[in-house]
Amino acid sequence: MHQEPARPHTLTTFTSALNQLRGDLLTMSSLAQRNLRNSLRGLMERDDAWCNDVIAEDEEIDMLEMQIDREGIEVMSRFQPVASDLREVVASIKIGANVERVADQAVNIARRARKINEHPEIPEIHLLDEPARLALSMLDDAVRAFAERNAPLAVELKARDKELDRMNRELADKMVNRMQDDSANLPIYLNLILISRCLERIGDHAANMAEDVVFAVMAEDIRHLGK
Amino acid sequence: MTSEENQPSSRTLELTDDFVPGESNFIKVDDFKFYYGEKRVLHGITLEIPSRKVTAFIGPSGCGKSTLLRNFNRMNELIPGIRHEGDITIHGTSIFDPSVEIIALRRRIGMVFQKSNPFPMSIYENIVYPLRITGERNKALFDETVERCLRSAALWDEVKDRLHDSALGLSGGQMQRLCIARAVASRPEILLMDEPCSALDPIATAKVEELIMELKKDFTIVIVTHNMQQASRVSDLTAFFYLGNLIEMGDTRSIFTNPAKKQTEEYITGRFG
Amino acid sequence: MASPENFFSNAGRQTSPLRLLRNRVLTFLCVSLSLLTLVPLFSIVVLVVKNGLSLVSPSLFTQLPPAPGLEGGGFGNALVGTVVMVGISLLLAIPLGILSAIYINEYAPASRLSGAVRVVAKLLTGIPSIICGVFAFAVVVLPTHQFSSLAGGVALSILILPTILLTGEQALLGVPKAFREASFGVGATHFQTIWRIVLPQALPAMMTGIMLAVGRAAGETAPVIFTALFSQNWISSVMQPSASLSVLIYNFASLPYAYHVKMAWAASLVLVTLVTVTNVLTQIVFRKKYS
Repeated sequence: MHQEPARPHTLTTFTSALNQLRGDLLTMSSLAQRNLRNSLRGLMERDDAWCNDVIAEDEEIDMLEMQIDREGIEVMSRFQPVASDLREVVASIKIGANVERVADQAVNIARRARKINEHPEIPEIHLLDEPARLALSMLDDAVRAFAERNAPLAVELKARDKELDRMNRELADKMVNRMQDDSANLPIYLNLILISRCLERIGDHAANMAEDVVFAVMAEDIRHLGK
Repeated sequence: MTSEENQPSSRTLELTDDFVPGESNFIKVDDFKFYYGEKRVLHGITLEIPSRKVTAFIGPSGCGKSTLLRNFNRMNELIPGIRHEGDITIHGTSIFDPSVEIIALRRRIGMVFQKSNPFPMSIYENIVYPLRITGERNKALFDETVERCLRSAALWDEVKDRLHDSALGLSGGQMQRLCIARAVASRPEILLMDEPCSALDPIATAKVEELIMELKKDFTIVIVTHNMQQASRVSDLTAFFYLGNLIEMGDTRSIFTNPAKKQTEEYITGRFG
Repeated sequence: MASPENFFSNAGRQTSPLRLLRNRVLTFLCVSLSLLTLVPLFSIVVLVVKNGLSLVSPSLFTQLPPAPGLEGGGFGNALVGTVVMVGISLLLAIPLGILSAIYINEYAPASRLSGAVRVVAKLLTGIPSIICGVFAFAVVVLPTHQFSSLAGGVALSILILPTILLTGEQALLGVPKAFREASFGVGATHFQTIWRIVLPQALPAMMTGIMLAVGRAAGETAPVIFTALFSQNWISSVMQPSASLSVLIYNFASLPYAYHVKMAWAASLVLVTLVTVTNVLTQIVFRKKYS
């Protein structure tokens, strides 16, 4: 694994521009992590206030995504980064896009949660506990891998993404069965399927982020392997 | 050259994945050491330069890249008190072999310098000079050479109506392209360029770079440059030198996206010293 | 933000009246001193033209000098003698001086021999001209038992050799290294590079040095008195004593006859004109072709 280059650039403005980009991306990521947590809390604790928060906060994340794009382009045009610097800038822009979509999925979850909260509680909702925990941990680890430039951690995420996919398929099968047995709660089951799908997509985004981290750190493209 | 003991030592030459040394290796530098008086400025360089490719030498001032370049056509021998160890071969023949005439060597290897240096003569005379010094007097051959060289230096259309005007009346970029035209007049196989664009504005630089891409169809080009963007734009291979050592040589794309050595990374990303 | 007034007034000392005054006084001083140096030069020219011009006529250049006390005649033989002796000195000094300059600058700039040549040439520039005359007397006049224009030429060539050598070296140094590199780079030999590239470039500056030498040689009296002596007749062989303008001026100026003194003035005028005209002509002929 490559270490972070120990020395700063001779040009200090170059180093500060890269640090600024990195800092903004980490801020954006932590907002997205918080939104995902809050949307799940709104679902599990049946509290619309959390859901409303998530929907309101999303705008800030969108603004940060645009800011990161601007900063990335500015670094490229002003300093013509190469090698690790270039990879870091490109990866940052791509990770920013993924984080933004994670936040969008959090908003989706929040909206579905508000729908579910209109109905009385049913026990099946806890079928989402496992996939929710897994999706959250994947997002956390993807962000940590970026923050620590930790490529092994990032590589390991791909396996967990497969696990999440499997959970999503199982849950969908179970819900389809329940729908036949209990058609009264059909809208709830449908929303649970859709939330599960959101969690599955979040896992995909986290895996994508991990791939970008591996590219930034090791200059290796691990996308679309084994297909 | 496939047996183990003939492989270049890993101390001086680290090939990145995409670069495969093959039979096209044309200039070979073998454990080459070079001294100015008592001072050793190249510490055992081993590398291979393929034909009809652009190879860029990069590195900070004083790293030995120009010194190595100027050994290829033995221009360093104008300086008193120099000596070398090791060997440089072109097409398998040592350039230091007593049977190699230095004059003939330089006719096979054109050179373009940092500061454009057309002779204070007409444009026409500048280009036929390499022919005149061989005793050639054929006017038809002169005319043909002038047109061929000016065309290959992408200068013909700009100067065809004033071939007999002073070369010193051209713009900086035109002068440098005239020097390239003069360098190819003796039909060399190799073109050495020592920071050819360092005195040119961006537009003239772009024209020379475009010309380099065009010329590599016919010539093996070795270019020394301080401008790393230029190296990444025009070269197929890049060699990074530091303090008289070859740190890393490889495919230009890999060097500029993922250099193998930390020193290379620090140099090209601007984290040096 | 400082307003424009502030911007300038902050410069303080820059605008102090004393400074301005001192500046003007010094400028005035420099200009007037420069003008002062022109005074002797102009006086000489005016004096020479005023005293010499009245005698100038075609016969001055075609006839022989008059005997003391007589009037009429000219100094054709002295003019020819000067031209011949300066010619001989150039014939000897130019090849020697320029070839040495080429050797010490192009072939072995760092060698001990070159260093020695440089030092000796610099010393020789300061040598009194009469020593050159004595030397030529010893090595040419004594062995041949003959005062001669050849001996005069030899004496003058020793006098001008260091000038030609040193200005030649400067001229070669003035040719940018880039031209030599370019020439070697396309496979030219050392000789071709010097002959085709370096010498044509150095020529104008070399000619300036040679012209300095011509002026010096034509005007020197001491080395010529010792070696070529003087002659009342036309030059018939380089192995004969010969008249020269400088010696004629020296001889006639000290004679008690007004006409001869006038003739010395005329000879001075001719000498000055001769050197000037040659100088200007060479400058025109050897002007840089491409620049």
